[in-house]
Amino acid sequence: MRTRDHQSPRQAQVLAAVVLTIVLAGCGIAAQSPSPVATNTPAPPSAQPSASTAQPSATAAQTSAPTDEPTQPASVTPTPPITGHVTFGNWPLYIDIDEDTGKYPTLKAFTEQTSIQVDYQEAINDNTEFFGKIQPDLAAGRPTGYDVIAPSDWMVAKLIRLGYLQPLNKSLLPNFTANAADLFTNPWYDPGNVYSIPWQAGLVGIGYNPTLTGREITSFADLLDPAFAGDVGMFSEMIDTMSLALLANGVHPADATLEDAQAAQQMLLAAAQRGQFQGFYGNDYYDQLAAGNLALTIAWSGDISQMQLWDNPDVKFVVPSEGGLMFVDNMVIPNNVEHLGDAYALMNYWYSLDAAVPLTEYIGYYSPVAGVQERVIADSEAARADGDTEWADQLLQIAHDSVPTQEQLQNIFPYKQMTEDEERAWNDLFDVVVNG
Amino acid sequence: MPRRLRWLTPYLFLLPGGLWLALFFVVPMLVMASVSLQEGSLGRGFTMTWNFGVYPEVISTYSPQFVRSIIYAFTVTLATLLLGYPIAYTIAFRGGRFKNILLLLVIAPFFTAFIIRTLSWKLILADNGFLLGTLKDIGLLSPGEHVLATPLAVVSGLTYNFLPFMVLPLYVSLEKIDPHLVEAATDLYANRLHAFLRVTLPLSMPGVFAGSLLVFIPAVGDFINAAILGSRDTTMIGNVIQRLFLATNAYPEASALGFVLMAAVLVLVAIYAKVVGAKELTAG
Repeated sequence: MRTRDHQSPRQAQVLAAVVLTIVLAGCGIAAQSPSPVATNTPAPPSAQPSASTAQPSATAAQTSAPTDEPTQPASVTPTPPITGHVTFGNWPLYIDIDEDTGKYPTLKAFTEQTSIQVDYQEAINDNTEFFGKIQPDLAAGRPTGYDVIAPSDWMVAKLIRLGYLQPLNKSLLPNFTANAADLFTNPWYDPGNVYSIPWQAGLVGIGYNPTLTGREITSFADLLDPAFAGDVGMFSEMIDTMSLALLANGVHPADATLEDAQAAQQMLLAAAQRGQFQGFYGNDYYDQLAAGNLALTIAWSGDISQMQLWDNPDVKFVVPSEGGLMFVDNMVIPNNVEHLGDAYALMNYWYSLDAAVPLTEYIGYYSPVAGVQERVIADSEAARADGDTEWADQLLQIAHDSVPTQEQLQNIFPYKQMTEDEERAWNDLFDVVVNG
Repeated sequence: MPRRLRWLTPYLFLLPGGLWLALFFVVPMLVMASVSLQEGSLGRGFTMTWNFGVYPEVISTYSPQFVRSIIYAFTVTLATLLLGYPIAYTIAFRGGRFKNILLLLVIAPFFTAFIIRTLSWKLILADNGFLLGTLKDIGLLSPGEHVLATPLAVVSGLTYNFLPFMVLPLYVSLEKIDPHLVEAATDLYANRLHAFLRVTLPLSMPGVFAGSLLVFIPAVGDFINAAILGSRDTTMIGNVIQRLFLATNAYPEASALGFVLMAAVLVLVAIYAKVVGAKELTAG
């Protein structure tokens, strides 16, 4: 009888576990659902009745077609009000930090000038991931919580294509008009800078550790050399990896056809299938390269400069002989922001030399602001006069790195501006390389 | 409450949980089912076309990752069972006054975030990290050996992360077993092994069943371990779903994959219940 007594609670326990696990499994799947809920947008207005019957969710009623209506009232209201608060979503390691207090000196100066508090968030680790995060709000016509964000060039093109960005009122950005460097105006992804102004830029090339490779690296072909099997890193974002592979095949990415993309995919796939790549990385390639887990990898120039200074002096950066790319991260204002006037004030602020120079002296990327290089050189000379030769040398290096050289630019090629269907097709091709 | 409305009581107790499930489980499921049958893109919008063809399409495209996920999850379930049973047995029968401390140690990893725990294994297993670096230095491993980015790393990470889910149900069912039953078995001339196989093990089967489900089901859909510790050759179905949702924005395909995964898990669990759990679930 004793065992009988145990029977029913045990049964209950098993049943409870089964129910719990099924719920857990359900949550795992359901947790993915917010994005498509908000994007079930019936494109043709005529299709609306039938589509809305298929939507039991309350959010479906709030969705709006994102296409064909890029114009927002930004240019109608000349001076949007200042609210005293702005939220800036940026990439990690992309601003000056006071090592002692953990505060941001340039933002502190901005707040002192304008009385606008900045909520600075290191929100972007990967363009596509961040897009996945803000897209449901944008599709539903709600504020994303960010007033200014810093997507990369190709993502700006995608956001423009989807009608998610506000056209900029240039009369509110006088510093941009006055100080923007020629190289960074009128870019391929946003002709005329209608929706975006650059934040910082750099090169996409190869970062390598000569002690692990045992030789100097010069070309994309080196990344596919079987001698380095298992020690090579690639980017998980499609556009950089595919564009470099296209260049290695002698094709300019901007002119690439689907056949060219297929050929590039075949080349990457063959290498992936024989275990050439240790992994496909976002910004986390940095740690793998610095720690010596990777011998060579696709890399961003500014990261390697920082790595040489702080984490691993051996590591080098090279633009592949077949051709490299220049990425530009931008400041844009998404639709429906809550602090429009403050967003303009912040964007305008970064184009003053008083803000751009300390920023460059800390992070060392290409600055889109004209005159930064001269000011950094002047600061270097001042430091040398003060007897701080080490800092003077570093500043001189940073000044050199803050503007691309003619030699670098000659081997730099623009990305392809893609339609939605092309992007999907290329992503599908690349997906096979990454996910097998 | 008036006596004649007493029959309502159990339903009132069920109401909050039921509403919760309806809102956060049933509604999202219906939305996902609808999304999986739509066609379109972000720019054009998605329209319902009752495209059932997406199901065979995703099954054929992603069958390698499906099969791999199931093999990994099966291996992980077996590994956690083999590792977890002795732990649970020892705590239940030999734990004495340390029982609570030992149980606390089993769940101690939960005090750290899932991602942090997995990332720490990335550091430990790094090519020149503490473990491999040392083994290479003393010559037990050749300098080119990797553990990261191999199936071993992914399965080990999953096993580590899900072990407590196996130990706890095993402990609960082992702890309930009356030691006198084992004594009675030995009195009836069973040796220790027979007493374990005939008495302890059958009585602990509910724990084995519950633990296996708690490990297998989350493991088969996990993408964190494969993303952090794996490579393209260890891509699991969870990684595919995540990428389709967030990178490609192919919501219909991703939703369809989610349903296929759920169906596969339900079928496997049903078979398992038939083989192992049937007696326990249907008895009494």
